[in-house]
Amino acid sequence: MKIVYVLLGLFIIINYGLLQAGVLRRITARVGKRIGVPFYQPYIDLIKNYAIRSQFSHGVMFYLGPVFRLSGGVGIFLFMPLIFGNEIFSNYSMAGDLILIMYFMFIGMLGMALGAGEGGHPYSIIGITRGLSQFTTVEVPFTLAVISIAIQYQTLSITEIVAAQQGGIMHWTLMTNPLATGAAMLSFLGMMMYAPFNVVNAPQENPLGPPTEFHGTFLGMLQTNRVILGVMEAILFMNLFFGGATNWGILFIKAFLIYFYPVFVGAVFPRYRIDQSIRWFLYLPTALGILAIIFI
Amino acid sequence: MVGPIYIIAISLGTAFSLGFFKKANRNISFGLMFFAMAFVTFISGQWLYAFLSHQQETIQIFTAGFKPPFSISLQMGFHEAVFLTMINVLGLLSAIYLFDHLKEKGANMMMVFMLLFMGLNVVVMTRDIFNLFVFLEISSITLVGLIILEKKQDAISSGFKYLIASGIISQILLIGIIAAYYYGGSLFINDMVDSNLLFVKGGSVAVFLILIAVVLELKPFPANGWALDVYQSATPGIGAIVSGAVATTSLFILYKLLPIGGDAWLLPIGITGVISFLGSNFLGINQKNANRILGYSSIGQVGLLMIIMSLSKDLGDKFEFVFFSILISHYLAKAGLFWISGIINKDEIGQWNIIKNKPGLIVLTGVFMLTLLGLPPFPSFYGKWELIMNLAHSGNFTWIAIILLGSFFEAIYLLRWFGKTLMNNENSEELIVKFHKIFPAVISSFLILMFSFLTARWSGLMSVKYFIPFAIALLLFALDFLPVFIKNIMAIATVSWYSYVLIYQTYIPENDILRIIFGFIFLIGAILLLFPGFTFKGKRRGFYPLVILMFSGLAGLIEARTTFQFFFAWEMMTLASYLLIIRGKNAKKTSFSYILFSMAGAFMMFIGFGLAYFETGSISLNALADVLIYANWVYILVAVGFLVKIASLGVHIWLPDSYTEADDDVTPMISSILVKSGVFGLIILMLSMSLKNAASSNIPYILGWIGALSALIGNMLAIYQEDVKKLVAYSSIGIMGYILFGLSMMSHLGWLTAISYSIVHFLYKALLFLAVAGIIYRTKTRNIYEMGGLIKRMPLSFISVLIGIITLAGMPPLVGFAGKWMFYNAVILKGWYFQGAIVFFSGIVAFLYCFKLIHNIFLGPIKDNHRKLKETSVWWLIPQFVLIIGIMIISVYPKIILEPIGLYLSMYFPGEGLVWAGTTASTSLGYWDATQIMMVFAGMFGVIFIILFLMSRKVQVVEQFNIVFQAERPERPETTHYAHNMYAPYNKALGFLAAPFITNSWEFIYESFHAIGDQIRKFYTGNGQTYALHIVMYVVAFYLFINGGF
Repeated sequence: MKIVYVLLGLFIIINYGLLQAGVLRRITARVGKRIGVPFYQPYIDLIKNYAIRSQFSHGVMFYLGPVFRLSGGVGIFLFMPLIFGNEIFSNYSMAGDLILIMYFMFIGMLGMALGAGEGGHPYSIIGITRGLSQFTTVEVPFTLAVISIAIQYQTLSITEIVAAQQGGIMHWTLMTNPLATGAAMLSFLGMMMYAPFNVVNAPQENPLGPPTEFHGTFLGMLQTNRVILGVMEAILFMNLFFGGATNWGILFIKAFLIYFYPVFVGAVFPRYRIDQSIRWFLYLPTALGILAIIFI
Repeated sequence: MVGPIYIIAISLGTAFSLGFFKKANRNISFGLMFFAMAFVTFISGQWLYAFLSHQQETIQIFTAGFKPPFSISLQMGFHEAVFLTMINVLGLLSAIYLFDHLKEKGANMMMVFMLLFMGLNVVVMTRDIFNLFVFLEISSITLVGLIILEKKQDAISSGFKYLIASGIISQILLIGIIAAYYYGGSLFINDMVDSNLLFVKGGSVAVFLILIAVVLELKPFPANGWALDVYQSATPGIGAIVSGAVATTSLFILYKLLPIGGDAWLLPIGITGVISFLGSNFLGINQKNANRILGYSSIGQVGLLMIIMSLSKDLGDKFEFVFFSILISHYLAKAGLFWISGIINKDEIGQWNIIKNKPGLIVLTGVFMLTLLGLPPFPSFYGKWELIMNLAHSGNFTWIAIILLGSFFEAIYLLRWFGKTLMNNENSEELIVKFHKIFPAVISSFLILMFSFLTARWSGLMSVKYFIPFAIALLLFALDFLPVFIKNIMAIATVSWYSYVLIYQTYIPENDILRIIFGFIFLIGAILLLFPGFTFKGKRRGFYPLVILMFSGLAGLIEARTTFQFFFAWEMMTLASYLLIIRGKNAKKTSFSYILFSMAGAFMMFIGFGLAYFETGSISLNALADVLIYANWVYILVAVGFLVKIASLGVHIWLPDSYTEADDDVTPMISSILVKSGVFGLIILMLSMSLKNAASSNIPYILGWIGALSALIGNMLAIYQEDVKKLVAYSSIGIMGYILFGLSMMSHLGWLTAISYSIVHFLYKALLFLAVAGIIYRTKTRNIYEMGGLIKRMPLSFISVLIGIITLAGMPPLVGFAGKWMFYNAVILKGWYFQGAIVFFSGIVAFLYCFKLIHNIFLGPIKDNHRKLKETSVWWLIPQFVLIIGIMIISVYPKIILEPIGLYLSMYFPGEGLVWAGTTASTSLGYWDATQIMMVFAGMFGVIFIILFLMSRKVQVVEQFNIVFQAERPERPETTHYAHNMYAPYNKALGFLAAPFITNSWEFIYESFHAIGDQIRKFYTGNGQTYALHIVMYVVAFYLFINGGF
């Protein structure tokens, strides 16, 4: 029975994510004084890709890359409690805590990297090395923030962290631990890979980056993952810092706002070079993270 | 029994009768001399046997029917017998060695040779000081005669310098004797001792002159240029006599005459010894001439023996043991090295690689050098142990520091030299080894081995069972002619038997979890890692004895119950691993830094054990827990030894190159097994010193920071490496830092992480290195950017590396994640947030090199020359897949290792551990269910895979050079492999963390040593007059020193 609810949750998340992606693309276009795609464009892209019949594979790892990647995204979904107080939509969060989620992100990255690696296109590898490089320092402030809230709540269980934030906005981590929230939100910019941290797959310099060789079903899977991953990361931050959600409505609103924030920043700021962005995360965000631990 | 007087009679008679044979057949003269020498040796040996076997009393022989002081008296006691035997055995072996030399120079030379040994014999036996003077003169002049008769120009000049110097010395002695007779009225040494000459008016001057002359005879640094020149320019066979017989005799004179000076002279002698010991060994570092180095070393050792003599009161009843074990080792080994030097006949040590293809000579050289260094199992090891421990017992730590420092200097040049002998030899010059030249060295090495066994038994520290590994190693050495296949089977069988006895029969019944775990890593690991040995062709000479010694050293560590056993096993393991590393083609330089760091670490550990003994009076390992006053010192000193082995930041610079340059199947052994000895040592140390001992609580905190920084820097450096073995090697530094950090947390979870991670690290590091070695075995290159696209050629190796890096990176669902998860919990519970954050950061940095490793080898376009490669040999793959199975089992069900370790740890750390409910582990912070995660992951992965499979049934597999894809350039596929300098932007951003600051600092220290040595060396001008002045100045300085003039 559990599995049915889990699949239902996944279905909701995918649809929500596709809609959100479409809306945000349109908003970004408007910022750039363009009209933009219709909000249902991501559906069209996805269906088109899954429907393409001519497909090429460069080998086993190329073939399995998207599987790993999607497993990573779905895995985070599976181990994340979605709706607080709702046993049905807590998924398999009893199997592991926050640390599991943090490390599960790596599985997808590794799979993508391996698949793209066997694809053999130099652009893919350049994108991957950049992505990995940036990722190492993005994680630093986030880790510090996680340690800070683990000290604050004396738990690593996401459900318990959400539970501790119930009772109004003043109980959110945002209010009780603004430094940790600040550090984490800055590293969130890096995780979402919008500008100024989007040199990994910046079309102008590095056409598409890692997914260069992927097409058809493979690309469809990567897109599906992107959708799930984006929403799930927003939900993770919602759970950790913004009081979680007690029903789907609140979840949609909070997730949208959290997701909107890197898009907003990306629309305003130009792009960093990769060595600049690597260093950037070790300055202000890390300093905030350290302060978050000191002043907890 | 033949009386000692016959020694003189026969020598003298032979020497005179040789005159009649001048013109006759030289073989006859040589035969005559040889038999005389043999008979003399027989006489002394017979007396020695008598003293050893049945309580023979010391006898006095009075010549001419008078009693002393009116006659010359000789004494034959136990000590005399020992020294005489030593001198005469050396004489006999020297005669054999110099066979063609003596024959060429004729009867005159033989006469002089005979008289030299007669002189030395009498000097040892006589109890009359004037008689001593006379025979000392005889031996000096005959020695100079031997040197000058060589008729080589520099030998003659050095002979004259020797003559000038010994002339001055004997005049000082003579004046001293006159004064002594004037003030004391007797020249009989026993009377002189009894009469307390020092307290007679004017007697102190007499004593001073006599003793300073004796000291000068010992060629003390720096008034010894004359002796060094002799060592350097005389034929090495004569060098052997000077070092082995003349120096030994001089030591005996000091031993005999020192009582005249009484206790007041002990300290000055000791200080003279210190200056000699430190000075000569320090200058030795900068030398290149083999014979001169031996000279320095010889003088240094004499200095050490002088120190020991001066400390005889502190050593108590161990004095004889210490003195003789060091003296005899020195005497045999030094002579042996001189003989080998004569065979090689090259001045520069850089040219000694001519013996590269003579395994026998290498083994002999190794035995002699290691004996000089005092490494186990050689006799000087036991001597040094007793020396240090007894000094520690009486609190003489300054002396300990001096002795170990000097030994370290000596280690530097001897090991550098040993490294040079193994250098690759482009010179095709053939070395001709004559039987009579090699024979004495072989005998000498046999005597060393025999004496090793005897000393070990005599010391009472070793039970017979410790000799089993040596016996097996010797057996394997004897069977070295067998093909590698058979020897590998024998080695595997030996280790299997050992692990059966140790783990199954001993530790499992005792339920000693810690020892089961490390026994498993050390021995079961050894069995696995011996498998690739089957791929080697030929004989692999000398490999298997060393492997057995290394693994039994490791096993000895876990068996050790006393600090002695521990130190013995530690040194043996270090030594064997050094010799294994040095076998690598380009490993000479790096193995040198490995052994130097290891020796320095071991010496620190030695002092630490000594300090513990000083305070507790026990050498039991458990007694470390009782150390209170010096707890911090003991802790730090012992820990440094272990930190070197796990290559913590600051002392890590030996590791990368050593791992890289060692043979491909040795690297996994040292990287995944040997380093764990450091972890094991730290565990033992911390269990007793941190837990049960409240006195030393701050050190783990420091160790924690060292661990965290090691993790960061190790990983940071790993990502920039282009040599695949080096990449994995640097990663080892990082992981070891991580384990060190876990241990230093001193909490249940921290230790659970560290110990379980030791197992996991063993599994994946062995896996990675084996896979990499298997790939190098096929590709014949270590440069990672020269590989690529091998996934299609070597899919099984790919699986190994993939599993290895997933585990290393700590990704779920494999067991590496267990380490990360427990670590987060441990760090937060402990409150070490910042150190912890550094470790986490370095864990993420590890992703970079993990990806580099797998991508550059297996992915991207394949290189032209690799297009026809095959999967690596099955012997590389078998252990890999056993390790993979191990990883998978504990990934699915980590409880099987975590629960018993947790139970074991709760004995020591009653604090918070893991709580198990079914397969879910939880702490007060979080929870984690590996089995469930694995199931969810597998299910999800399976479903997604099936979906993809169904949607892409018509997928077309494209090959290389389908240029629509991949942006490939068919003419040069390597140009599209983004592999070289892969993380350039990262280097630009954070490369400063990887700057070779520490390596440069160490090199600066090493260079400074050389520069200082170079300056001091200018003191030796090579001019006989200057040397004479040195002697006079030395006497004056000494006089001022003991009379408080300074």
